[in-house]
Amino acid sequence: MEIYVLPKQEMGGFVAGLAARYEVLGPVAKEEEFVFAPVSSAAELRLDYDTTILPPHKKYFLPPMETLFTFDGRASGREVEPAVGERVLFGVHACDVNGLLSLDQVFLGSYPDPYYRARRASTAIIGLNCTEPCENGFCSSFNTGPGMDRGYDLALTDIGEAFLVEVGSERGKELAKGLAPASDEHLIAKNRALRAAQQMITRRIDTEGLAQLLHENVEHAEWEELAEICLSCGSCTNVCPTCFCFGVKDYVELDLTTGTRPREWDSCQFYEFSRVAMDHVFRPGRPARIKQRMYHKLTYFQQQFDAPGCVGCGRCVTYCIVDIDPVEIVENIQENPNPGKEVHLYTPPPRRECPDTSPWKPLPAVIKGIKKQTADTTTYTLAFQDPKVQEAYTYQPGVFNMVSLFGLGEAPISISSSADTRGSFDHTIRAVGNVTNALEKCQVGDVIGIRGPYGRGWPVEEMEGKNVLLIAGGIGLAPLRPVIKHIQARRDRYGSLEILYGARTPADMLFTDEFDEWRAIPDTKLYLTVDRADPADCWQFNVGVVTTLCDLMAAVPENTVVVTCGPDIMMKFVVKTLLGRGFSPEQIFVSLERRMSCGIKKCGNCQIGPVFVCQDGPVFRYSDVQDLPEEIL
Amino acid sequence: MAKPKLAFFKFTSCAGCLLSVLNLEDHLLDIVGAVDIVHFLMARRETQPGPYDVAFIEGAVSTPHEVEQLKEIRRQSKVLVALGNCAVTGGVPSMKNFAGSEREMEERVYSETWDIKSIPVRGLDYYVKVDEYLRGCSIDLNELVVLLKSLLLGVSPRFRPHSVCNECKLKENVCLLISKGKACMGSVSAAGCGALCPSLNRPCEGCRGPSNDANAEALAYTFVSDLGLSPEEVRRKFQKYAGNTPAFRKGAEAL
Repeated sequence: MEIYVLPKQEMGGFVAGLAARYEVLGPVAKEEEFVFAPVSSAAELRLDYDTTILPPHKKYFLPPMETLFTFDGRASGREVEPAVGERVLFGVHACDVNGLLSLDQVFLGSYPDPYYRARRASTAIIGLNCTEPCENGFCSSFNTGPGMDRGYDLALTDIGEAFLVEVGSERGKELAKGLAPASDEHLIAKNRALRAAQQMITRRIDTEGLAQLLHENVEHAEWEELAEICLSCGSCTNVCPTCFCFGVKDYVELDLTTGTRPREWDSCQFYEFSRVAMDHVFRPGRPARIKQRMYHKLTYFQQQFDAPGCVGCGRCVTYCIVDIDPVEIVENIQENPNPGKEVHLYTPPPRRECPDTSPWKPLPAVIKGIKKQTADTTTYTLAFQDPKVQEAYTYQPGVFNMVSLFGLGEAPISISSSADTRGSFDHTIRAVGNVTNALEKCQVGDVIGIRGPYGRGWPVEEMEGKNVLLIAGGIGLAPLRPVIKHIQARRDRYGSLEILYGARTPADMLFTDEFDEWRAIPDTKLYLTVDRADPADCWQFNVGVVTTLCDLMAAVPENTVVVTCGPDIMMKFVVKTLLGRGFSPEQIFVSLERRMSCGIKKCGNCQIGPVFVCQDGPVFRYSDVQDLPEEIL
Repeated sequence: MAKPKLAFFKFTSCAGCLLSVLNLEDHLLDIVGAVDIVHFLMARRETQPGPYDVAFIEGAVSTPHEVEQLKEIRRQSKVLVALGNCAVTGGVPSMKNFAGSEREMEERVYSETWDIKSIPVRGLDYYVKVDEYLRGCSIDLNELVVLLKSLLLGVSPRFRPHSVCNECKLKENVCLLISKGKACMGSVSAAGCGALCPSLNRPCEGCRGPSNDANAEALAYTFVSDLGLSPEEVRRKFQKYAGNTPAFRKGAEAL
């Protein structure tokens, strides 16, 4: 690509030229620090800035709060078009350009995010290579600075009397029009300046074998020590150029019908980040939260998106009140490793094709039927309002939809109907949160929003030719019902089917009216248990936790696939019992629950270590996740 | 559907939160259209007896009489809201809990104490179940409106008591603690105020109480080691607005 030179005294004219055509966003002083803000002339620009409080690309492409929808009914939302004209981000450092490339992997990969994409497409990046390293940066550790080699439309380097201007794209060529071509001397000066800068960077993380080392040191004393001093304030994630997690929440007007659905940055450092309905928190401990951030930056991100999760900008150090510093943490562990059990590096399943439509827009679906299962659980039969959408709608057993009620929010709910069903689909829902409680008040004919299906389901193909052991607890039977239906419809393709189902009381059992039908499936056994039963219940089956049913079943490890779903604690004991009986982790499949705000590997809420439950799961082969750096059950 | 009946009460406090309810000018008429305010002495003399759909109580509990009154209001109300920091944690009045015995405090304030019966100052949930909390000294009016709408919708507003630092960083404020050496408590204090004080160059005083899983001890050590505060100054900071809470008690007692 072309290389030009821009004498410093001509910078004013260059910026004025840009400002005449674009909105120019560049570094300006804010008291003793710097932030990116709109500028109209070069005089306002502070190209000598060291770092900015928020990374410019994140601030403008993934704003802290962004309205996704406005709505005027529970199923009638309109996507908000990001109101951005043509813009130029002027003077972005190499670390942030690389941070932007990492965020691109999250937001432009599978299920491209229309909001991010619109902003990204209308914005040119004019990078600024660092000839004077900042105080806390360690970018050279990851080859994400001080100079940039991609991701820019134009890249500037201060070479004394002038800036060298490298063109990185067709758009850059346009922006550089009118500049004088650079000479070899200019290029040599640039290389000399960057080499000098590189040598001035003394802070460094040795990345050799780092992922493996961290995975082995999950129980290192360092994490407990950090938890003593960490304030859980979340500043580190806010200022991080690659942190992308957000939550989605609905706000209504006083008419309770119209309102907005924005997304807002969230932080894995907050206690309530992993909270789901009934106030269950999956990551309550501070050491686990600190580990989640450090591991996500230094290994998980790379595993998930094949891009660096840390670009060494140093902001998390600069803005940490108690001086928590990844460079020091890694050094401490490298110098004094205390490896625990062996932990393997998780590789996510390959990306799948996704529809080209907006992944955020719930489509209107009509409630065709409502069937009460228990006092708090109901099965809703739904069909998309648009018959074409309904006709094209297919799914695997075990996957889920995001159920949306504008004004109340969205909730991930598994599909409980047979995947062979055409014309409708079922959700079996326990009323425990804002969305599910509101659903309980819905009536036949009401319209709600559905988007999906999402995730990976049960391995019904791998199960063919094998015996199937299906173990469900409580509401966990809902995502397994499609497996029963699937086998019923293709009975000759499977071996014996044993269903072990437990609930708290007889009144908490789901699908009781289908039990006789299931028992009538050839070579099928249904074993039931409850935690407790009153004499008045006339309960004639087992009493005890679901694992007590394992004594009744005929299933043996040979030629069997186990599928299980229920509360975490139940699955934990199911897995333990089965492993004790000689089953292998490879033949057990579990379905996991976590907080989800998107379903499409964007919001980050559902991560367990490097795993995204929404897209890598919710169904996992137990051996794939049993020794992650973070416990799954 | 009948309009929900709302009642507002006041215990030991400055009345600032109730006053700010009256400052809801932009929304007040709409809200009055959606609800029935049946008890609000600051706004009007006529009152109706319970039961109430929602009772808001401003103020801490500091006398045996208030304990009885609180239990009665709880009994009469479907939803009980702690309105403002005094009702949430005991607030500013709870400073007296750490200053001496009840007797000493009574004698320091009143010339005649035969009719004074004071007890340690507590937030409402020391005595009864509280359904929703509106934090702050005084409350944030936006949060009040969000809460009212949530109650009308029949859902929880799910306020998230994470740190003030979070909201401060989103505004790209220059950090008062790191850059200016001010003893800002934002890192361990609950947000929802939009980082109001730090945005006006004033350090956060923690008027909304501790954030979720706040690590006040660590901040207490930092105040001493990095900013040179005395242990006594640190103790007073953590006992100013929410000394009753376990998190800030740890901060106050860290040194």
